[in-house]
Amino acid sequence: MSRADASPPAPPAPLPARPRPPGDAASDGIVAVGVRRSFGSVRAVDSITFTARPGRVTALVGPNGAGKTTLLLMLAGLLVPDAGTLRVAGHDPVTESAGARARTGWMPDTFGTWDSLTAREVLTTVGAAYFLEADQARERADELLRTVHLEDLADAPARVLSRGQKQRLGLARALVHDPQVLLLDEPASGLDPRSRVDLRVLLRRLASEGRTVLVSSHVLTELDELADDAVFVSHGRTVRESTLASATGERRTWRLRALDPVVLGAWLEDTGVTFRRAADAVPGEPDHSAASDDGSVQVELDDDESAAGLVRAAVLAGVPLVSVAPANGALEQVYLSLEEERR
Amino acid sequence: MSHVVEVVPEPGEAPAAPETRRTPRPTGTWTLRARGLRTVVELELRQRVRSARWRVALGAWFVVCGLVTWLTFRASAQLVGPDYVRYADYDTDEAFGSNLNLTMHVPRGPLIFGLIVFFVLLAGFLVAPTLSAGSINGDREAGTLATLQVTLLSPAEIAVGKLLAGWAAAVAFLVVALPFVIVSLAAGGVRVVSLAVTLVLLVVLLGVVCAIGLGFSALVSRTTASALLTYLTVLALTVGTVILFGLTFPLITQTDEVPTYESSAVDPGIVYQTDENGDTVEVDPTTGLQVTDDDDAASSDSSCTWTTEATSRSHTERTWWLLAANPFVVVADAAPAAPAAARFGVPDPLGEIRDGVREVREGPADREDWCGDGTVAGTTGSTAPVWPWGLGVNLLLGAGAVWLTVRRLRIPQGTLPRGTRVA
Repeated sequence: MSRADASPPAPPAPLPARPRPPGDAASDGIVAVGVRRSFGSVRAVDSITFTARPGRVTALVGPNGAGKTTLLLMLAGLLVPDAGTLRVAGHDPVTESAGARARTGWMPDTFGTWDSLTAREVLTTVGAAYFLEADQARERADELLRTVHLEDLADAPARVLSRGQKQRLGLARALVHDPQVLLLDEPASGLDPRSRVDLRVLLRRLASEGRTVLVSSHVLTELDELADDAVFVSHGRTVRESTLASATGERRTWRLRALDPVVLGAWLEDTGVTFRRAADAVPGEPDHSAASDDGSVQVELDDDESAAGLVRAAVLAGVPLVSVAPANGALEQVYLSLEEERR
Repeated sequence: MSHVVEVVPEPGEAPAAPETRRTPRPTGTWTLRARGLRTVVELELRQRVRSARWRVALGAWFVVCGLVTWLTFRASAQLVGPDYVRYADYDTDEAFGSNLNLTMHVPRGPLIFGLIVFFVLLAGFLVAPTLSAGSINGDREAGTLATLQVTLLSPAEIAVGKLLAGWAAAVAFLVVALPFVIVSLAAGGVRVVSLAVTLVLLVVLLGVVCAIGLGFSALVSRTTASALLTYLTVLALTVGTVILFGLTFPLITQTDEVPTYESSAVDPGIVYQTDENGDTVEVDPTTGLQVTDDDDAASSDSSCTWTTEATSRSHTERTWWLLAANPFVVVADAAPAAPAAARFGVPDPLGEIRDGVREVREGPADREDWCGDGTVAGTTGSTAPVWPWGLGVNLLLGAGAVWLTVRRLRIPQGTLPRGTRVA
């Protein structure tokens, strides 16, 4: 653990409050319609259509090789789509490259830093590259170093930063020019738990300031707490676009645990609810409880309402319930169901 | 799928956004702003200056330059004489008993200057590719290029900024070598204006090599490949041109019917006779008159005639440009020559290359005059400089490389160069 990681958790330094009226996706968000991109014979992005709205965090979810990074490269204005249209903060990244770039902050999944420069210099250089005035860039750098908790390492060469710290510096770099749209490719990879929480708080705040935040990841649990909307891509196609709220209204697996598993099992059998014990989890399906048989059972329920009904009935019947919770995160549930459809 | 993407400057830059947002100035691929350039140059130089390798390299360079200068002084002393003064080793009149009046001042300066300048140019050509041939693909490999490209810097600013930084580093090597070049002035015979012109050309030519390295680094994905290609190009320019010039000799050598003005020895010949004084005189056998041996034009004319002779000649005026493109020739040709009188007998490599290449450019004369005072008429001894052509060729190469680099840096990219990743 580095010094910065070990520093007591300070409340994230606020970015300058920028109250803005909620814009629409066409002028302040991201709109992608039928986007396609191939590399030679490999079709990285086949057909992606989605909307990311300002003021919300949109998760871009998909397995490795689904085309997430390629899509983000196109949104960042680095790649030309073979087909389809893109609008980022009201600008076409192909025909109005500079306009789109001025409003887009991009954090790639793998990136280098100018190793011999200090963290502060990295940020002031990026500021200069966005044509900020020198003092403005310095001020902004200080502010962002506080935001990502790197002020202790501000004057250390970037090469001594750990992977997580570099990741945070990369995030700060994407924010230097106060972008309207943020494109973050696996921003949490390499971050320690504390930094993940900070990242979540920061992204939520950026969204609440009216920015559009698009986060790609395949670590679904971290997106669950962060995202408002989710775009599922697989094999270069949008397979589903939904809000997390609607994802929670889905049929999903719940885990129930009672003081006495036998009583719980007997009651479930009586009421005719099909269930399975955590101990005999279906092979091939991820099951977080399989490792330890704590006597919990899993049931498939249509929505939150039926879950509430089940709990009420169980309590009334005198089942000593200890916990009732969804077995998977909402995103994970949707993701897994999509995987099933694909099979 | 080769999209040609023109980055169009935005027509009406978003006054639509309600909030007071920094309005980016309209930028295109070729936008060059002083601030943008400064940002890139600063970034590049900062990284270079901080690497320890850099200081070691400059230090080693200084030592090597010093060593070469010392050796050059020693060698030139062996060649020309122990000091600035060489004594003529013949006495015409023993009565004088002293050869004091025959002392010739032979400055070693031009020799030393030429050797050191060529050494610095050669070494600069070896160093410059390493300073620029990794600037694009190296950054791409390190994952720092794309994050720079998405900023508001234009492709031209990134390309030219990187060129300027690499160039500045190359010039730093020149500056370190400067004391030794100046020392050669102390040996005499080299004018300050020669030094100045030579330095300017060294700087420009190093810039060209840096640009070529930059171009290759944008063209191929591996830094080793781009360095190799840059070295090959430098080799082609410096050695390849000379070899090619030599190899094309058979192609440009042909038998010409040349009008030749020759002494009539061709037909009747001159008969040597001994006159009444016992001296050998030339006598025209047709007239029986003595041919005077002076340079009088009238008398030569009377004994010379125009004939057409089949002569094998090399038309180097068709291939001189091969030599002209050689950076060493450019440097040698451009340095202002000392007045002819001051040059007599002085070993001067730059001067000899200059005379040689200008003669080569002239090619064989239309008519040849072997008569009279022995000078070959027709070769007007042209002093038209060759270096502007060579410099032009080199500058075009450099400009082409920069142009290519800028095109390669444009985003969004349509086709990707083989084996490269965007980020």
